[in-house]
Formats: sequence, structure tokens, C-alpha cells
Amino acid sequence: MGEREKPERQRPLGEEQNRADASGEADRRESAALRSRLDRLSADLDANRDLSAGNGEKDLGLSASSFGGAMNLGFRVLAEFVSAVVVGALLGWQLDKWFGTSPLFLLVLLLLGTAAGFWNVYRIAVKPSGPKS
Amino acid sequence: MAEAMDPIHQFNIEPIVKLHPFGIDTSFTNASLFMAIIVLAASALMILGTSARSIVPGRLQSAAEMAYEFVANTVRMSSGSEGMKFFPFVFTLFLFVLFANLIGLIPYTFTVTSQIIVTFALAALVIGLVIAYGVIRHGTHFLGLFVPSGVAPALLPFIVLIEIISFISRPISLSVRLFANMLAGHITLKVMGAFVAALLGAGAYAIIAPLPLAAIVALTAFELLVAVLQAYVFAILTCVYLNDAIHPGH
Repeated sequence: MGEREKPERQRPLGEEQNRADASGEADRRESAALRSRLDRLSADLDANRDLSAGNGEKDLGLSASSFGGAMNLGFRVLAEFVSAVVVGALLGWQLDKWFGTSPLFLLVLLLLGTAAGFWNVYRIAVKPSGPKS
Repeated sequence: MAEAMDPIHQFNIEPIVKLHPFGIDTSFTNASLFMAIIVLAASALMILGTSARSIVPGRLQSAAEMAYEFVANTVRMSSGSEGMKFFPFVFTLFLFVLFANLIGLIPYTFTVTSQIIVTFALAALVIGLVIAYGVIRHGTHFLGLFVPSGVAPALLPFIVLIEIISFISRPISLSVRLFANMLAGHITLKVMGAFVAALLGAGAYAIIAPLPLAAIVALTAFELLVAVLQAYVFAILTCVYLNDAIHPGH
């Protein structure tokens, strides 16, 4: 920028205009600096947000690095599996009571409940971060 | 002594004010008292925390803002921006469970979330909302939740049955997880505390009494982690289930 100003300063006639140009130049320089600072800030913010989003995903998922996370995941898998089996058994038991077909529905739904339990666990393993949309 | 050593005694529900209108037991119990305390504490945090509205937040305002932003991010991440209309619901649930777990860790308090009926009521509320919103929003298309795409027609009846059982098991797993975590943690703490008391009264064995005491310190820290984690898990699973209601297709 300094080099561009030099040839103008050699002209003695347009001194007034020269000063106006210089102040305009200073303004422009300031706004450019401000813009670059803003850009840098927003880039930093984006990076920060990406980082925290990444962390959040990690918390939800399988990569339970900490003891608490591992306990949490274990409890989740256990609860999903056991509850599906229990629901299957209870449904079968109640259907048998209604239709008097003991133990047909109990056996069938117990098996289906076990399958549903495995299905639940499989879903946790495959889609750890939950549906994203 | 026996009562002080009994690890289950802390979960007893005792009526404070007895009320039996029309033969229905609606007594104000210690559980009701602590639920009222939880609601007051959570409201106080948010109301006092947001009353100053300073640009540089104080301690209370930071806590309130952090809780808000944390839950808002959770909701947005797991059920999209459309799920934000459920943010007040999820935030209330999160704060209630969090305060119930944390207040329960203070000695001589009552842990509301160690009662399965409380956690089941919360889970039933979540699943009820999922079903109601899904049916209102999508009508019969909501049933598409039980029919995953890309399954061989021969397998479809089995898969649909399995999906239905898996859906019914959700409120149970949601409630049992929270209940079991709190119950197990509090019983462990109490048993360890009883070890200390019993060892101190056992003559020469009193010399190893500090061992369970140290275990209590470590377990209390761990319980603090579990208390926050379970509140978070409850909130995130609520979001995941609500996401099913918003987008029922697989």
C-alpha cells in the first residue's frame, strides 16, 4: 500500500485530494483488518463447534473410553436385552391366560422377545449416535 | 441399630400428612416432599440464574446456561431442529431426574428416582407422548415404525412382531435403567457404611475399618457421575424416541 501512495505524493498540485485518498485508504485498511479478524473468529468458532459436536457424538456412541461411559453402555445393553425378554414373556403369559392355550404363546413370545432383545442390542451397536436427520 | 444398618430402610415411604379421601391413599409422603423440593430447587436454579442476565455470567447463571445449552444441543443433535419443539419437555425431564439423583446423594435425604413407580411414570409419559404425537402427526403412517424397509416378505411378520415387542420394552428399559442404577448405588453405599460401623464395633478388627470408608469416598464420587450420566441418558433416549415419532420411517 505504501508503494502505491508514493507516486501520488510526488505531484504537488493535487495535495488536497491526496489527503482525502490517504484517509480513505486508512478506512479501507481498518475495515479489511476488521473483516479478517471476524473471519478468523468465525473460523475458530466453527472449529470449536465441530470439536464439541464430535465430542458429543463420542459420548453417545460405542467408543466409551472412560469407566463411566463403559458402565453406562453396559447397563444400557443389559436393560434393553432383559426388558425385551421380560416383555415377551409377560405378553405370552397374558395371552395364554386369555385364550387358555398355556404354554403355547408363552413359549413363542418368549423366543420372539429374546430375538427382540438381540435386535435391540444390535441396533445400539450399529447405530450408536441415534438417528440423525 | 438394626434399622440403621438395614440397607433397604432408606427406600421406605412414610406418610407425613395422612390423607384418605374416598378411600384412596393420597397421603403427603416423604417422596412427595422430596419431589416438591426437587421442583423448587430446579425452578430456583433457572429463575435465580436467569434473573441477573449479565453478559459475563456469574456462577448460578453459568450453571443455568450450561444446563440449557447442553440439553438444547442434545435435542438438536438426536432429533434434529424439528425436535426443538419438545425442548421444554426434555429439559424439564432432565432437570427433574438430575435434581432427584443429586439431592438423593445428600445423606438423610430420600431418592425419588430409586422408586420404580416414579421412573416408570416418567418413562410412560415419554412413550405416551411419542405415541400421541406420532398418531396425531402421521396418522396410520406412524405404524410404519414397525415395518422396516428392505426386509424379505417371508420374514416380515416376524420382524414386525419383534419390532412391536421391542417398542413395548422401551418404557420398561427406560425406567428400569434409572431405577436400578440409583437403587444399586444407594444400597452399595449403605452396605459399605454398615461395614465401617460393624468393624469399629468388632474389637481388633477396627484397624481395617478405614478400608470400607475409603471405598465409600470413591463410590460417592462414582455415584455423582452415575447421577449426572443417568439423567443425561434419560434425556437422550427421550430424544431418540421422540425422533421416531417425528420421522417414523426407518
